[in-house]
Amino acid sequence: MAAEVAGGLALGLLLVAPPFLPPYFLEILISVMLFGYLGAAWNILGGYAGQFSFGHAAYFGIGAYTSTLLFLRLGVTPWLGMLAGGALAAAFGLLAGYLSFRYGLRGPYFSLVTLAFAEMLRVVAVNTKAVGSSLGLVIPSREAAPIDFVFGGKLPYYYVILAMTLGAVWITRRLERSKLGYALRAIRENEDAAEASGVDALGMKLRAMALSSFLTALGGTFYAQYFAYIDPSITFGPAVSIQGLLQAIVGGAGTVLGPVVGAFVLTPVSELSRAMIRGRAGVDVMVYGLVLILVISFLPNGLMGWVRRRPAPGRS
Amino acid sequence: MLLEVDGLTKRFGGLSAVSGFSLGVEAGEIVGLIGPNGAGKTTVFHLLSGFHAPTAGAIRFKGVSVVGARPHEICRRGLARTFQIVQPFVNLTALENVMVGAFNRTDDPAAARARAGELLEFVGLGARRDTPARALTLPDRKRLEMARGLATGPELLLLDEVMSGLNPTEIEAIIGLIRRIHAHGIALLIIEHVMRAIMALSQRIVVLHHGEKIAEGRPADVARDARVIEAYLGAEP
Amino acid sequence: MFNLTGDLFLQAIVSGVLLGGVYGLVASGLSLIFGVLRIINFAHGAVMMLAMYATYWLFTLLHVDPYLSILVTGPAFFLLGMLIQRVVIEPNRFAAEHNQLLLTLGLALFLENLALVLWQGDFRTVRPAYAGASFTLGEALVEVPRLVACGGAVVMAVALFGFLRLTDVGKAIRALAEEPEGAMLMGIDVGRIRAVAFGIGAGCVAVAGALVTPFFYVAPDVGESFNIMAFVVVVLGGMGNFVGALLGGFIVGLAESLGATALPGSLKQLVVFALFVLVLLFRPAGLFGGGRGR
Repeated sequence: MAAEVAGGLALGLLLVAPPFLPPYFLEILISVMLFGYLGAAWNILGGYAGQFSFGHAAYFGIGAYTSTLLFLRLGVTPWLGMLAGGALAAAFGLLAGYLSFRYGLRGPYFSLVTLAFAEMLRVVAVNTKAVGSSLGLVIPSREAAPIDFVFGGKLPYYYVILAMTLGAVWITRRLERSKLGYALRAIRENEDAAEASGVDALGMKLRAMALSSFLTALGGTFYAQYFAYIDPSITFGPAVSIQGLLQAIVGGAGTVLGPVVGAFVLTPVSELSRAMIRGRAGVDVMVYGLVLILVISFLPNGLMGWVRRRPAPGRS
Repeated sequence: MLLEVDGLTKRFGGLSAVSGFSLGVEAGEIVGLIGPNGAGKTTVFHLLSGFHAPTAGAIRFKGVSVVGARPHEICRRGLARTFQIVQPFVNLTALENVMVGAFNRTDDPAAARARAGELLEFVGLGARRDTPARALTLPDRKRLEMARGLATGPELLLLDEVMSGLNPTEIEAIIGLIRRIHAHGIALLIIEHVMRAIMALSQRIVVLHHGEKIAEGRPADVARDARVIEAYLGAEP
Repeated sequence: MFNLTGDLFLQAIVSGVLLGGVYGLVASGLSLIFGVLRIINFAHGAVMMLAMYATYWLFTLLHVDPYLSILVTGPAFFLLGMLIQRVVIEPNRFAAEHNQLLLTLGLALFLENLALVLWQGDFRTVRPAYAGASFTLGEALVEVPRLVACGGAVVMAVALFGFLRLTDVGKAIRALAEEPEGAMLMGIDVGRIRAVAFGIGAGCVAVAGALVTPFFYVAPDVGESFNIMAFVVVVLGGMGNFVGALLGGFIVGLAESLGATALPGSLKQLVVFALFVLVLLFRPAGLFGGGRGR
């Protein structure tokens, strides 16, 4: 009961408070939402299916580049371009996933191959003039045109990413209670025993991959529209991959709220560290590394995992 | 004939784990599979359940060949198994463990939950529904694995040494459970080292030695078979 | 696509082999760590980067020749490696496999960005007097620092091989890699050996780092490219297969430089990655086998 009230309150605040926030805090909140969203997308494959992708940047980049190119070259509104990017990312994810899973790559080997795929895309992007090479792509600033996913102020962007994040959380919750959710968790725990219990491990993992990559790509489009600039190292680089998985791991992989909780903890920590040691790039990531080490060492199930260990009456 | 195995052979490199093994199991039968350690019994289970591909030979379940089928496909058709070393989903509760199996027969979570609950009661784990599997004792984990296998709705259940590591009281309880499973019309192929249990339960016994069948027949006859005694030379009665 | 002239080809071979030796040394350390501790050390490149900075500071502040500084940095990083293993990795040795991977990732993030914070992102160079020395071998140009680096790497790898074969500690390491439970029963101090193995890995990569500074650049991200190469080499050579790592280093070095002759820009990396993916999919135990496989 207390949890529901707290949740409702938090949601209410998220909906109502932002118009009154100073611009700096609104920016941070948008970052929190974006990272939480990416974490939630990663969580479906990583936390629930137990397949730790280190290369989710591949899908982020595909999403960002697809919608941006469609917008810049063909005038297609990014709202539609987003879906195209998602579909393309899902297709790539299915291909990468099929190759990896069909050939039995598990654990660290799977992580390494996803890293390789993301890096390959990055190198291709850097060397392809048509997508702007290292210089990347700029979305020229114009007046607000909501139909083209371009807004005047930051607030509308906030509500978009809030909606996306709430959507991702809702999808995760539905997933957890569904047949697919049980199948994925079984695969995570013990793939052979899952197969012996009738679970089509390959098929289920591919489903998780398609969903995870689709959602991640949508995040890429959001990023492109919000920051109005993308390049290969931002979109396909390891930083994006790490951000997604970091939120989920710290907040609690395999839980519904973990990634969002993780984002709410990590983003302020990163801001704080940058404020404390001004003018030195890398302080925030250094802190991320430390936090990751500490979380793995002392709270291996993340924050939500730690919270949920308290004996709860008859959870089924 | 529910299960027909014909000339089943499995070679690993130069080693023959199973050679020319043939077996038939009728619907509703209890067949025991015994043999000294390393005889190839678990390998036979791996071959039947799709975890290993045979080097040669045929396996037909309900008249259809299952050679080359993936484990989950074989399970869907109605052949379920347990593992020699129990393999629970440790971070899921007992109920959730069994639900995974129950989803084999339904897409609806509520139906799966109901079925899982019934099966937990059936195996005697009703009180442990919400206990995480990692907190269960070994005997309970064995029951859990049987419940999970039963949840998949099998016509044939392969039990791999479910009594190992159990004390006499627990063994009696499992014997009772197996009889109750059998009473529901499910055929059973049982690997076991606890001789009195398997002799008591089985309608027919098959003996495996160095990957080959050396005897088959009623328990009493097999127990007197000279080749069987020789294979077990020095082993427990 | 392949408009290779004879001398271009020869140059590519020379460059590939020379750099490949260094890749082999870096990968040997990674392979050893994997063989004994069963973890993929994502922080391997970061340690190399730190060693390169150490070499830089010793050269810039104290005018110590980079090759001579190995006498200091080698043992120092061996000890640092042991310390890291004891403090960060050993306490978590029973954690889930993916968590141990994340642990080394966290370490990598921490170390790389520590360097960024302390010394910022500017490229620095170590250029002793002989940095530009070179000679010709047929049509190809051989740069002396690269040759020394390759030679030094091979010497180090051979020394390591000898250490593992001939000394008691080396044999204990191999025992632990092959039979963890048996090794414990034989009274081997498993904790100490694990720390030593990690230390050796760190020492190897530190030596490699010092060897490349005369012709490379020093910056916080320099470890990343060697990291990826090391993963590729180790998978190619077989995880835990020590000799395979050295041979794999040459193969990858050649693949990279031959790729550079065929593909413009940084696309040469695609050749290496493609090789990586292919090996992972079709021969995850490595080209020479002996690896742990999937």
